[in-house]
Amino acid sequence: MRLSKAFYIVILLQLIAVTGLQAQMQRQRVAVASTVDDAFWTPTLITQPTTEHIPARNLNVTIMHSFGIATTDAISNFFGFDNVQNVRLGLDMGLTNRWSVGIGRSSQLNVVDIRTKYALFQQDSLKKMPVSISLQGDLGIITQENRQPLSDDVSIASSLIFSRKFSKRFSLQILPTYAHFNRYNAIGSQNLFALGMGMAIHLSKRYALTAEYYPVLGEHLPGTKNAFSLGMNIQTGGHVFQLFFTSTEWHLQQFVIADNDQQFWAGDFRFGFNVNRIFGL
Amino acid sequence: MSSKQKLRLVLLLGGFLLALSVEGIGQVYMTKNGHAEFKSSVPLHSFTGHSDKLVGKISLSDSTVDFYVDVHTLKTGIRKRDEDMLETLQADQYPFAEFFGKLASPFDSSSSDAQDVTVRGDFSMHGISRKLSVDGTLQKTDKGLKVDASWTINMENYNIEPPGILFYRVSEKIPISISATLASQPSK
Repeated sequence: MRLSKAFYIVILLQLIAVTGLQAQMQRQRVAVASTVDDAFWTPTLITQPTTEHIPARNLNVTIMHSFGIATTDAISNFFGFDNVQNVRLGLDMGLTNRWSVGIGRSSQLNVVDIRTKYALFQQDSLKKMPVSISLQGDLGIITQENRQPLSDDVSIASSLIFSRKFSKRFSLQILPTYAHFNRYNAIGSQNLFALGMGMAIHLSKRYALTAEYYPVLGEHLPGTKNAFSLGMNIQTGGHVFQLFFTSTEWHLQQFVIADNDQQFWAGDFRFGFNVNRIFGL
Repeated sequence: MSSKQKLRLVLLLGGFLLALSVEGIGQVYMTKNGHAEFKSSVPLHSFTGHSDKLVGKISLSDSTVDFYVDVHTLKTGIRKRDEDMLETLQADQYPFAEFFGKLASPFDSSSSDAQDVTVRGDFSMHGISRKLSVDGTLQKTDKGLKVDASWTINMENYNIEPPGILFYRVSEKIPISISATLASQPSK
Protein backbone atom coordinates (compact mmCIF):
# COMPACT_ATOMS: atom_id res chain seq x y z
CA MET A 1 0.00 0.00 0.00
CA ARG A 2 2.78 2.39 1.03
CA LEU A 3 4.69 1.40 -2.08
CA SER A 4 1.86 2.18 -4.51
CA LYS A 5 1.11 5.48 -2.72
CA ALA A 6 4.75 6.57 -3.07
CA PHE A 7 4.70 5.50 -6.71
CA TYR A 8 1.61 7.62 -7.46
CA ILE A 9 3.04 10.63 -5.62
CA VAL A 10 6.25 10.41 -7.66
CA ILE A 11 4.28 10.09 -10.93
CA LEU A 12 2.07 13.05 -9.95
CA LEU A 13 5.06 15.24 -9.14
CA GLN A 14 6.64 14.19 -12.40
CA LEU A 15 3.50 15.12 -14.35
CA ILE A 16 3.30 18.51 -12.64
CA ALA A 17 6.93 19.24 -13.42
CA VAL A 18 6.67 18.20 -17.08
CA THR A 19 3.32 19.96 -17.60
CA GLY A 20 4.73 23.11 -16.08
CA LEU A 21 7.60 23.07 -18.52
CA GLN A 22 5.54 22.46 -21.63
CA ALA A 23 2.69 24.87 -20.93
CA GLN A 24 2.20 27.88 -23.17
CA MET A 25 2.89 31.24 -21.59
CA GLN A 26 -0.15 33.16 -20.53
CA ARG A 27 -0.81 35.86 -23.15
CA GLN A 28 -0.73 39.37 -21.73
CA ARG A 29 -1.82 42.54 -23.51
CA VAL A 30 0.59 45.49 -23.61
CA ALA A 31 -0.82 48.74 -22.24
CA VAL A 32 -1.21 51.12 -25.18
CA ALA A 33 -2.01 54.84 -25.27
CA SER A 34 -5.67 55.68 -24.82
CA THR A 35 -5.48 59.20 -26.27
CA VAL A 36 -7.94 60.19 -28.98
CA ASP A 37 -5.85 61.27 -31.94
CA ASP A 38 -8.21 60.95 -34.87
CA ALA A 39 -10.78 63.67 -34.15
CA PHE A 40 -9.57 65.17 -37.44
CA TRP A 41 -7.39 63.37 -39.95
CA THR A 42 -5.05 66.18 -40.85
CA PRO A 43 -3.18 68.99 -39.08
CA THR A 44 -5.29 71.43 -41.13
CA LEU A 45 -9.08 71.06 -41.35
CA ILE A 46 -9.54 73.15 -44.52
CA THR A 47 -7.79 76.38 -43.58
CA GLN A 48 -7.95 76.04 -39.78
CA PRO A 49 -5.29 74.26 -37.73
CA THR A 50 -6.61 71.24 -35.81
CA THR A 51 -5.49 69.33 -32.74
CA GLU A 52 -4.28 66.53 -35.03
CA HIS A 53 -0.52 66.17 -34.56
CA ILE A 54 2.15 64.76 -36.80
CA PRO A 55 3.90 61.93 -34.95
CA ALA A 56 7.60 62.29 -34.15
CA ARG A 57 9.91 61.80 -37.15
CA ASN A 58 7.02 62.03 -39.59
CA LEU A 59 6.92 64.57 -42.40
CA ASN A 60 3.63 65.88 -43.75
CA VAL A 61 3.82 67.34 -47.24
CA THR A 62 0.88 69.53 -48.23
CA ILE A 63 -0.27 71.04 -51.49
CA MET A 64 -3.12 73.47 -51.01
CA HIS A 65 -4.91 74.83 -54.01
CA SER A 66 -7.77 77.25 -54.55
CA PHE A 67 -9.33 78.39 -57.82
CA GLY A 68 -11.40 81.35 -58.94
CA ILE A 69 -15.01 81.98 -57.92
CA ALA A 70 -17.03 79.12 -59.37
CA THR A 71 -20.18 81.10 -60.01
CA THR A 72 -18.69 84.10 -61.84
CA ASP A 73 -18.80 83.56 -65.59
CA ALA A 74 -19.13 79.90 -64.72
CA ILE A 75 -19.00 78.52 -68.25
CA SER A 76 -16.32 80.78 -69.72
CA ASN A 77 -14.10 80.33 -66.62
CA PHE A 78 -15.01 76.65 -66.37
CA PHE A 79 -16.39 77.08 -62.85
CA GLY A 80 -13.28 78.95 -61.73
CA PHE A 81 -10.82 76.23 -62.75
CA ASP A 82 -9.29 78.55 -65.36
CA ASN A 83 -8.11 80.87 -62.60
CA VAL A 84 -5.60 79.40 -60.19
CA GLN A 85 -6.01 81.80 -57.30
CA ASN A 86 -3.55 80.58 -54.70
CA VAL A 87 -1.25 77.61 -54.16
CA ARG A 88 0.46 76.91 -50.85
CA LEU A 89 3.19 74.30 -50.71
CA GLY A 90 4.09 73.21 -47.19
CA LEU A 91 6.20 70.89 -45.09
CA ASP A 92 5.43 70.07 -41.46
CA MET A 93 7.49 67.79 -39.30
CA GLY A 94 6.77 66.14 -35.95
CA LEU A 95 9.66 66.83 -33.58
CA THR A 96 7.89 64.91 -30.84
CA ASN A 97 4.45 63.33 -30.76
CA ARG A 98 3.18 66.63 -29.33
CA TRP A 99 5.25 69.27 -31.07
CA SER A 100 5.55 70.05 -34.76
CA VAL A 101 7.12 72.79 -36.89
CA GLY A 102 6.42 73.72 -40.48
CA ILE A 103 7.19 76.01 -43.37
CA GLY A 104 5.16 76.97 -46.42
CA ARG A 105 4.89 79.35 -49.31
CA SER A 106 1.76 80.76 -50.87
CA SER A 107 1.73 82.02 -54.43
CA GLN A 108 -0.62 84.87 -53.42
CA LEU A 109 1.69 87.81 -52.50
CA ASN A 110 4.48 85.21 -52.28
CA VAL A 111 3.84 84.81 -48.55
CA VAL A 112 6.36 82.59 -46.81
CA ASP A 113 5.22 81.28 -43.45
CA ILE A 114 6.71 79.34 -40.60
CA ARG A 115 4.52 77.73 -37.99
CA THR A 116 4.55 75.59 -34.90
CA LYS A 117 1.99 73.67 -32.89
CA TYR A 118 2.12 72.08 -29.46
CA ALA A 119 -0.38 69.72 -27.84
CA LEU A 120 -1.02 70.95 -24.29
CA PHE A 121 -3.59 68.25 -23.54
CA GLN A 122 -4.95 65.30 -25.46
CA GLN A 123 -8.41 63.83 -25.13
CA ASP A 124 -8.01 60.63 -23.16
CA SER A 125 -10.75 58.25 -22.14
CA LEU A 126 -8.71 56.62 -19.37
CA LYS A 127 -7.33 59.82 -17.87
CA LYS A 128 -10.77 61.45 -18.00
CA MET A 129 -9.48 64.28 -20.21
CA PRO A 130 -12.56 65.32 -22.22
CA VAL A 131 -10.91 67.61 -24.78
CA SER A 132 -7.70 68.13 -26.69
CA ILE A 133 -6.07 71.55 -26.40
CA SER A 134 -3.28 72.73 -28.69
CA LEU A 135 -1.47 76.01 -29.07
CA GLN A 136 -0.62 77.07 -32.60
CA GLY A 137 1.27 80.02 -33.98
CA ASP A 138 2.45 81.13 -37.39
CA LEU A 139 4.42 83.98 -38.82
CA GLY A 140 3.97 85.10 -42.42
CA ILE A 141 6.16 87.37 -44.49
CA ILE A 142 5.08 88.87 -47.81
CA THR A 143 8.06 88.42 -50.10
CA GLN A 144 6.53 89.95 -53.23
CA GLU A 145 8.26 93.23 -54.11
CA ASN A 146 6.09 96.08 -52.82
CA ARG A 147 8.53 98.88 -51.95
CA GLN A 148 7.79 98.75 -48.25
CA PRO A 149 10.11 97.80 -45.40
CA LEU A 150 10.27 94.12 -44.47
CA SER A 151 8.76 94.83 -41.07
CA ASP A 152 5.55 95.99 -42.80
CA ASP A 153 5.28 92.64 -44.54
CA VAL A 154 5.12 90.65 -41.32
CA SER A 155 1.94 89.15 -39.90
CA ILE A 156 1.24 86.58 -37.20
CA ALA A 157 -1.63 84.43 -36.03
CA SER A 158 -2.03 82.45 -32.86
CA SER A 159 -4.80 80.06 -31.86
CA LEU A 160 -5.72 78.07 -28.82
CA ILE A 161 -7.52 75.08 -30.27
CA PHE A 162 -10.08 73.14 -28.24
CA SER A 163 -11.44 69.98 -29.84
CA ARG A 164 -13.49 67.00 -28.82
CA LYS A 165 -14.37 63.81 -30.61
CA PHE A 166 -17.89 63.32 -29.31
CA SER A 167 -18.48 59.99 -30.96
CA LYS A 168 -17.04 57.71 -33.61
CA ARG A 169 -18.78 59.95 -36.16
CA PHE A 170 -18.59 63.51 -34.90
CA SER A 171 -15.76 65.90 -33.91
CA LEU A 172 -15.93 69.59 -33.15
CA GLN A 173 -13.35 72.29 -32.53
CA ILE A 174 -13.37 75.89 -31.39
CA LEU A 175 -10.31 78.07 -31.78
CA PRO A 176 -10.08 81.58 -30.43
CA THR A 177 -7.59 83.23 -32.76
CA TYR A 178 -5.59 86.41 -32.66
CA ALA A 179 -4.14 87.86 -35.85
CA HIS A 180 -1.82 90.82 -36.21
CA PHE A 181 -0.54 92.65 -39.29
CA ASN A 182 2.27 95.14 -38.95
CA ARG A 183 0.74 96.88 -41.93
CA TYR A 184 -2.38 95.73 -43.73
CA ASN A 185 -2.66 97.27 -47.21
CA ALA A 186 -2.85 101.03 -46.78
CA ILE A 187 -4.59 101.07 -43.41
CA GLY A 188 -1.66 100.40 -41.13
CA SER A 189 -1.22 98.03 -38.23
CA GLN A 190 -4.18 95.81 -37.49
CA ASN A 191 -5.21 93.46 -34.70
CA LEU A 192 -8.04 91.04 -35.25
CA PHE A 193 -9.81 88.47 -33.12
CA ALA A 194 -11.88 85.60 -34.43
CA LEU A 195 -13.61 82.58 -32.97
CA GLY A 196 -12.96 79.77 -35.42
CA MET A 197 -15.30 76.79 -35.44
CA GLY A 198 -14.75 73.54 -37.26
CA MET A 199 -16.32 70.12 -37.42
CA ALA A 200 -15.96 66.74 -39.05
CA ILE A 201 -18.55 64.06 -39.64
CA HIS A 202 -16.84 60.73 -40.24
CA LEU A 203 -18.97 58.90 -42.77
CA SER A 204 -16.62 55.88 -42.86
CA LYS A 205 -12.95 55.17 -42.28
CA ARG A 206 -12.29 56.64 -45.75
CA TYR A 207 -14.65 59.60 -46.00
CA ALA A 208 -15.51 62.56 -43.79
CA LEU A 209 -17.50 65.74 -44.30
CA THR A 210 -15.91 68.87 -42.90
CA ALA A 211 -16.95 72.48 -42.37
CA GLU A 212 -15.34 75.52 -40.83
CA TYR A 213 -16.37 79.06 -40.03
CA TYR A 214 -14.23 82.02 -39.00
CA PRO A 215 -16.43 84.73 -37.47
CA VAL A 216 -14.45 87.87 -36.72
CA LEU A 217 -15.17 89.26 -33.25
CA GLY A 218 -15.62 93.02 -33.27
CA GLU A 219 -15.12 95.15 -36.33
CA HIS A 220 -14.28 93.62 -39.70
CA LEU A 221 -11.70 95.14 -41.97
CA PRO A 222 -13.40 97.19 -44.71
CA GLY A 223 -15.13 95.06 -47.34
CA THR A 224 -14.39 91.73 -45.65
CA LYS A 225 -16.73 88.99 -44.46
CA ASN A 226 -16.56 85.90 -42.30
CA ALA A 227 -14.95 83.00 -44.14
CA PHE A 228 -16.81 79.74 -44.54
CA SER A 229 -15.72 76.46 -46.09
CA LEU A 230 -17.34 73.09 -46.71
CA GLY A 231 -15.32 70.02 -47.64
CA MET A 232 -14.86 66.30 -47.93
CA ASN A 233 -11.84 64.30 -46.75
CA ILE A 234 -10.76 61.14 -48.50
CA GLN A 235 -8.37 59.00 -46.49
CA THR A 236 -6.23 56.45 -48.32
CA GLY A 237 -3.76 55.35 -45.63
CA GLY A 238 -0.75 57.44 -46.67
CA HIS A 239 -2.63 60.32 -48.30
CA VAL A 240 -5.52 62.46 -47.21
CA PHE A 241 -7.21 64.31 -50.06
CA GLN A 242 -9.38 67.25 -49.06
CA LEU A 243 -11.84 68.62 -51.60
CA PHE A 244 -13.71 71.75 -50.62
CA PHE A 245 -15.76 74.78 -51.52
CA THR A 246 -14.67 77.95 -49.77
CA SER A 247 -15.18 81.66 -49.79
CA THR A 248 -11.50 82.46 -49.18
CA GLU A 249 -8.56 82.18 -51.50
CA TRP A 250 -6.13 81.97 -48.57
CA HIS A 251 -4.62 78.97 -46.82
CA LEU A 252 -3.03 80.96 -44.02
CA GLN A 253 -5.10 81.84 -40.93
CA GLN A 254 -4.44 85.56 -40.54
CA PHE A 255 -5.25 86.21 -44.20
CA VAL A 256 -8.38 84.03 -44.04
CA ILE A 257 -9.63 86.22 -41.19
CA ALA A 258 -8.48 89.55 -42.60
CA ASP A 259 -8.84 89.20 -46.33
CA ASN A 260 -11.99 87.26 -47.19
CA ASP A 261 -14.23 89.44 -49.32
CA GLN A 262 -16.64 86.76 -50.54
CA GLN A 263 -19.95 85.63 -49.08
CA PHE A 264 -20.22 81.82 -49.26
CA TRP A 265 -23.99 81.58 -48.83
CA ALA A 266 -24.57 84.24 -51.47
CA GLY A 267 -23.05 81.78 -53.91
CA ASP A 268 -19.59 83.35 -54.04
CA PHE A 269 -17.51 80.29 -53.42
CA ARG A 270 -14.59 78.65 -55.13
CA PHE A 271 -13.36 75.10 -55.42
CA GLY A 272 -10.13 74.05 -53.78
CA PHE A 273 -8.24 70.97 -52.69
CA ASN A 274 -5.51 70.01 -50.27
CA VAL A 275 -3.30 66.98 -50.66
CA ASN A 276 -1.61 65.67 -47.52
CA ARG A 277 1.06 63.00 -47.83
CA ILE A 278 2.78 61.75 -44.71
CA PHE A 279 6.22 60.15 -44.76
CA GLY A 280 7.88 58.25 -41.94
CA LEU A 281 11.51 59.46 -41.68
CA MET B 1 13.43 -7.61 -2.81
CA SER B 2 11.53 -6.49 0.26
CA SER B 3 8.81 -3.88 0.01
CA LYS B 4 11.05 -1.46 1.93
CA GLN B 5 13.77 -1.91 -0.68
CA LYS B 6 11.21 -1.46 -3.47
CA LEU B 7 9.98 1.76 -1.85
CA ARG B 8 13.53 3.04 -1.69
CA LEU B 9 14.06 2.17 -5.35
CA VAL B 10 10.86 3.96 -6.44
CA LEU B 11 11.77 7.06 -4.41
CA LEU B 12 15.32 6.99 -5.77
CA LEU B 13 14.16 6.68 -9.38
CA GLY B 14 11.46 9.29 -8.87
CA GLY B 15 13.89 11.66 -7.25
CA PHE B 16 16.31 11.18 -10.14
CA LEU B 17 13.60 11.89 -12.73
CA LEU B 18 12.38 14.92 -10.79
CA ALA B 19 15.93 16.20 -10.56
CA LEU B 20 16.16 15.91 -14.34
CA SER B 21 12.94 17.92 -14.71
CA VAL B 22 14.11 20.59 -12.29
CA GLU B 23 17.42 20.68 -14.15
CA GLY B 24 15.27 21.29 -17.24
CA ILE B 25 13.84 24.44 -15.69
CA GLY B 26 17.37 25.84 -15.67
CA GLN B 27 17.36 25.50 -19.49
CA VAL B 28 14.51 27.94 -19.95
CA TYR B 29 15.15 31.23 -21.76
CA MET B 30 12.77 34.17 -21.91
CA THR B 31 12.41 37.69 -23.27
CA LYS B 32 9.72 40.36 -23.26
CA ASN B 33 11.39 42.80 -25.64
CA GLY B 34 12.28 40.86 -28.74
CA HIS B 35 11.99 42.44 -32.18
CA ALA B 36 9.34 41.40 -34.68
CA GLU B 37 9.03 42.89 -38.15
CA PHE B 38 6.88 42.49 -41.22
CA LYS B 39 7.07 43.92 -44.69
CA SER B 40 4.09 44.91 -46.77
CA SER B 41 4.05 46.12 -50.33
CA VAL B 42 1.79 47.81 -52.81
CA PRO B 43 2.88 48.54 -56.39
CA LEU B 44 5.86 50.94 -56.39
CA HIS B 45 5.87 51.22 -52.62
CA SER B 46 6.61 49.10 -49.59
CA PHE B 47 6.71 49.69 -45.85
CA THR B 48 7.72 47.81 -42.75
CA GLY B 49 6.00 47.45 -39.43
CA HIS B 50 7.84 46.49 -36.29
CA SER B 51 7.44 45.90 -32.58
CA ASP B 52 9.97 45.63 -29.78
CA LYS B 53 7.49 43.91 -27.50
CA LEU B 54 7.91 40.36 -28.77
CA VAL B 55 7.54 37.92 -25.87
CA GLY B 56 9.34 34.61 -26.20
CA LYS B 57 10.21 31.52 -24.24
CA ILE B 58 12.40 28.61 -25.29
CA SER B 59 12.79 25.55 -23.12
CA LEU B 60 15.71 23.44 -24.29
CA SER B 61 14.87 20.57 -21.96
CA ASP B 62 11.62 19.77 -23.76
CA SER B 63 12.38 21.73 -26.98
CA THR B 64 9.30 23.93 -26.72
CA VAL B 65 9.33 27.30 -28.46
CA ASP B 66 6.66 29.87 -27.57
CA PHE B 67 6.48 33.41 -29.02
CA TYR B 68 3.74 36.02 -29.16
CA VAL B 69 3.34 39.71 -29.87
CA ASP B 70 0.46 42.05 -29.11
CA VAL B 71 -0.38 43.39 -32.59
CA HIS B 72 -1.29 46.76 -31.06
CA THR B 73 2.45 47.29 -30.52
CA LEU B 74 3.25 47.00 -34.26
CA LYS B 75 4.10 50.40 -35.74
CA THR B 76 4.48 51.26 -39.43
CA GLY B 77 5.56 54.88 -38.94
CA ILE B 78 2.19 56.31 -40.03
CA ARG B 79 -0.48 56.40 -37.36
CA LYS B 80 -3.45 56.22 -39.70
CA ARG B 81 -1.95 53.21 -41.44
CA ASP B 82 -1.49 51.55 -38.03
CA GLU B 83 -5.16 52.09 -37.32
CA ASP B 84 -6.14 50.60 -40.67
CA MET B 85 -3.88 47.61 -39.99
CA LEU B 86 -5.45 46.98 -36.57
CA GLU B 87 -8.89 47.22 -38.06
CA THR B 88 -7.95 44.76 -40.80
CA LEU B 89 -6.57 42.34 -38.20
CA GLN B 90 -9.63 42.84 -35.96
CA ALA B 91 -7.10 43.45 -33.22
CA ASP B 92 -9.63 44.06 -30.46
CA GLN B 93 -10.96 40.55 -30.99
CA TYR B 94 -7.63 38.88 -31.86
CA PRO B 95 -4.89 40.87 -30.13
CA PHE B 96 -2.03 38.37 -30.54
CA ALA B 97 0.07 36.90 -33.32
CA GLU B 98 1.60 33.79 -31.78
CA PHE B 99 3.67 30.72 -32.41
CA PHE B 100 3.89 27.61 -30.27
CA GLY B 101 5.91 24.62 -31.37
CA LYS B 102 8.97 22.48 -30.87
CA LEU B 103 12.52 22.37 -32.09
CA ALA B 104 12.52 19.79 -34.87
CA SER B 105 16.28 19.68 -35.35
CA PRO B 106 19.11 19.08 -32.91
CA PHE B 107 20.67 21.98 -31.03
CA ASP B 108 23.98 21.65 -29.22
CA SER B 109 23.60 23.85 -26.14
CA SER B 110 27.27 23.40 -25.24
CA SER B 111 28.40 25.19 -28.42
CA SER B 112 28.54 28.99 -28.79
CA ASP B 113 28.32 28.82 -32.58
CA ALA B 114 25.21 29.99 -34.42
CA GLN B 115 23.33 26.85 -35.41
CA ASP B 116 20.67 26.43 -38.07
CA VAL B 117 17.51 25.00 -36.57
CA THR B 118 14.02 24.15 -37.71
CA VAL B 119 11.01 24.72 -35.53
CA ARG B 120 7.60 23.21 -36.22
CA GLY B 121 4.37 24.23 -34.62
CA ASP B 122 1.27 26.39 -34.97
CA PHE B 123 1.24 30.03 -36.00
CA SER B 124 -1.96 31.82 -35.06
CA MET B 125 -3.35 35.22 -35.89
CA HIS B 126 -6.72 36.73 -36.68
CA GLY B 127 -8.32 33.75 -34.94
CA ILE B 128 -6.85 31.24 -37.42
CA SER B 129 -4.19 28.70 -36.51
CA ARG B 130 -2.06 26.92 -39.11
CA LYS B 131 0.83 24.48 -39.04
CA LEU B 132 4.13 26.15 -39.79
CA SER B 133 7.75 25.11 -40.18
CA VAL B 134 10.27 27.89 -39.62
CA ASP B 135 14.00 27.90 -40.32
CA GLY B 136 16.21 30.09 -38.21
CA THR B 137 19.36 30.24 -36.15
CA LEU B 138 19.98 29.76 -32.45
CA GLN B 139 23.15 30.82 -30.72
CA LYS B 140 24.21 30.66 -27.12
CA THR B 141 25.84 33.93 -26.08
CA ASP B 142 26.95 35.54 -22.82
CA LYS B 143 23.59 37.28 -22.64
CA GLY B 144 21.50 34.19 -23.28
CA LEU B 145 20.05 32.51 -26.30
CA LYS B 146 20.02 34.54 -29.53
CA VAL B 147 17.23 33.78 -31.98
CA ASP B 148 16.79 34.88 -35.58
CA ALA B 149 14.08 33.52 -37.82
CA SER B 150 12.02 34.53 -40.79
CA TRP B 151 9.12 33.15 -42.77
CA THR B 152 6.38 34.31 -45.09
CA ILE B 153 2.66 34.10 -44.53
CA ASN B 154 -0.14 34.43 -46.99
CA MET B 155 -2.85 36.70 -45.61
CA GLU B 156 -5.53 34.65 -47.33
CA ASN B 157 -4.59 31.63 -45.18
CA TYR B 158 -5.44 33.63 -42.09
CA ASN B 159 -8.67 34.95 -43.49
CA ILE B 160 -7.25 38.49 -43.66
CA GLU B 161 -8.51 40.51 -46.57
CA PRO B 162 -5.65 42.65 -47.94
CA PRO B 163 -6.71 46.27 -47.61
CA GLY B 164 -7.17 48.20 -50.85
CA ILE B 165 -5.79 51.73 -51.18
CA LEU B 166 -7.78 53.39 -53.97
CA PHE B 167 -6.68 51.44 -57.04
CA TYR B 168 -3.90 49.48 -55.33
CA ARG B 169 -4.15 46.30 -53.34
CA VAL B 170 -1.66 45.28 -50.68
CA SER B 171 0.29 42.12 -51.58
CA GLU B 172 -1.07 39.00 -49.90
CA LYS B 173 2.39 37.66 -49.08
CA ILE B 174 3.87 39.15 -45.94
CA PRO B 175 7.48 38.34 -44.97
CA ILE B 176 7.91 38.21 -41.20
CA SER B 177 11.15 38.14 -39.22
CA ILE B 178 11.98 38.02 -35.55
CA SER B 179 15.19 38.55 -33.62
CA ALA B 180 15.63 38.36 -29.90
CA THR B 181 18.07 37.46 -27.16
CA LEU B 182 16.37 35.38 -24.51
CA ALA B 183 17.86 35.53 -21.04
CA SER B 184 18.43 32.37 -19.08
CA GLN B 185 15.90 31.96 -16.30
CA PRO B 186 17.23 31.14 -12.84
CA SER B 187 16.55 27.62 -11.54
CA LYS B 188 13.66 27.36 -9.15
